[in-house]
Amino acid sequence: MKKIILEARNVSFSYDYKYKNEKFARRALNRVSFSLCEGERLAILGHNGSGKSTLVKILGALIDAAEGEYIIDGKNILDWDLQEFRKTVGVVFQDPESQLIAALVEDDVAFSPENQGLDSREIQERVDMALEQVAMSHKRASPVSALSGGEKQRVAIAGALAAKVKILILDEATAMIDPDGRREIEKILRDLHKSGTSIIQVTHQIEPENFSDIDRVIILSNGEIIWESSTQDFFTNAANLGFEIPSDKPEFNTNRKTSNKNFFAIKNLSFKFENENVFALENVNLDIKSGLWLSIIGKTGSGKSTLIQHLNGLYKIQSGEIIHNGKNLPVKGSELQKLRQNVGLVFQNPESQIFAQTVHDEIAFAPMNAGYDSQELEQKIIHALRAVGLPDEFLERNPIMLSGGEKRLVAIASILSVEPECLILDEPLAGLDSVYQKRILNLLSNLRTAGHTIITVTHDLRMAAKYSDEIFDINSRVKS
Amino acid sequence: MNFSNITFGQYIPRNSIIHKLDPRAKLLGLLILVSAVFTIKNFCAFALSVLALLCVIRASKIPAKSIVKSSRPLLFLIVFTFAFNMIALIFRYDFRSAFLQAIFTSSRLLVLMIYALLLPLTTTPLELADGICALMQPFRKFLPVNDISMMLGIALRFIPLLMQEADKIMKSQISRGAKLDQGNIFQRVRAFFPVLIPLFVIIFRRADEVAIAMEVRGYGNAKIRTRRKPLIWKFQDTFAIIICAILAGIFTLA
Repeated sequence: MKKIILEARNVSFSYDYKYKNEKFARRALNRVSFSLCEGERLAILGHNGSGKSTLVKILGALIDAAEGEYIIDGKNILDWDLQEFRKTVGVVFQDPESQLIAALVEDDVAFSPENQGLDSREIQERVDMALEQVAMSHKRASPVSALSGGEKQRVAIAGALAAKVKILILDEATAMIDPDGRREIEKILRDLHKSGTSIIQVTHQIEPENFSDIDRVIILSNGEIIWESSTQDFFTNAANLGFEIPSDKPEFNTNRKTSNKNFFAIKNLSFKFENENVFALENVNLDIKSGLWLSIIGKTGSGKSTLIQHLNGLYKIQSGEIIHNGKNLPVKGSELQKLRQNVGLVFQNPESQIFAQTVHDEIAFAPMNAGYDSQELEQKIIHALRAVGLPDEFLERNPIMLSGGEKRLVAIASILSVEPECLILDEPLAGLDSVYQKRILNLLSNLRTAGHTIITVTHDLRMAAKYSDEIFDINSRVKS
Repeated sequence: MNFSNITFGQYIPRNSIIHKLDPRAKLLGLLILVSAVFTIKNFCAFALSVLALLCVIRASKIPAKSIVKSSRPLLFLIVFTFAFNMIALIFRYDFRSAFLQAIFTSSRLLVLMIYALLLPLTTTPLELADGICALMQPFRKFLPVNDISMMLGIALRFIPLLMQEADKIMKSQISRGAKLDQGNIFQRVRAFFPVLIPLFVIIFRRADEVAIAMEVRGYGNAKIRTRRKPLIWKFQDTFAIIICAILAGIFTLA
């Protein structure tokens, strides 16, 4: 029996102040107990709102448990010197951008050893070692802004490793990363596991290729542990537990529609950003058919976002043309405003648009800009809200306080409220758990059946294959 | 309208003498030169300051193109200065001398700003913060010097990222029919609320995430913070300061 290195005993937590006085206050975590052996790799699975983030904060000693004990290396967290604790447990979070605090790779990895007060030679050795472990030595002197999302996250992992931690906790660390980047991170985690680092991976989905490396699975639901078993047991029971195991073979949409009418015809479209030497888009030719669902796939930085932002006139066409309704895309005035109503664009992060105090006002923004008022406006708002499947009482809620999935639905409703024929969505499933993923996919399927043209930009090949009518690979320029 | 393309004052890695100078030397040298350029009165000294600027740019190996691009956002200020000078002077002098004086003042400002711009272009935010921290040490009894310099370094690191966020927010709202560039000044300010509010929300969320990420890496509990590359004052740093001082002397006295 291996030595237990980390143990949670009946850990509870509530964000409710009255928790101590009231027995039935809502608990974010309720009597959570588990342990981690030295060198073990554990996955903690849970949907959005299951208490995962709270648990990570307790494990990372960012907040104290309200009840219960948290023991690391045989010593209660309350008896640890925090500076010593930080040398034992490292945490890597979801968004790599928020974790890199220096502008250069090497400087960032050095942050933790610098805080430990090591001398500069030792710091450099730690940095070299950590960059070696995440296979980023060749980019040591690069600015972090020049890295891909996956590379940034590898640097963030190196930042934790440079403290020589024994336990590495990853909080949805691959959720924002494209498939290539994810595979590279997974390989690094396997190597770390092999070399004896204990790993806790908190996530809403396990990729099938990692099953062999994960020793144990714990499922968290509504703040409680509802299942604990070996990975093999989980694998056979996943469906009953409400988790989908994505199959290795992609499923294809058996109900593909076809159409001969072009919604957009893109011809030889090229685009170059002002300060860059390479083309963001080079000679793209693509027919987007009316009433179909098109998925645009491709690597990060391949120009997917730039392409779709051309379709509602956010970028001026530099060379080539886009034909819509038999005419070139309008470039200004009321014609352009009309195009933007007819071609709705939903950005990846709903937080980049939510500004109103109520869901009602948020959804009202686009139709008000389009000149609708009074009764007609109210009708459009309620219609859009119902279209995304949210109940009427949501109109009075504050959109900032909603969950991630609900925010995404409100963002879609706020575009549907001007009744666009075409809906473009940038990574509509990013960061959502399987429940909301399904909800959004069904919504888009229904909109397509109702005759809308749907364009999604994604690096999720499974989704593209299973739901869309056509797929355009922007790297190879092949449409299938 | 595209914020994310603004490369204003972003570090450009090169292997040059200027890049290798101690940030303290760069900060002090800049301070000396900038104050000297302020005092320039005649054309000869001005020409010399331009020549010196060109030499520094050459030595920094920063491509002229990047400097032109980085200084573009400053043009507004230059044009404004020019116009303001013109208006103020035209009533006192004839058109010709007012024009020449306005040109002189605004181009002097331009030179000054390009000197200042070279600092962030050749120095990483962290180095810059370290340099400021070291120079502020005499004030450490009254001010949390180390925290201030860390804040500065982080602010510089996150500016480009926030520019990207602002760009996305503007595009999102324009896509929903927001008219950000129409109407009178009040309408325009009002139209900007849908951009400012999400920007604030995103900034606060990000600030929170950054703070947590720093905490788990041991910032805040650190008793002493050391550096991977401690600042070492070398001979060339002293030399650079001497050159700056000589130049400053010439500018002021010429």
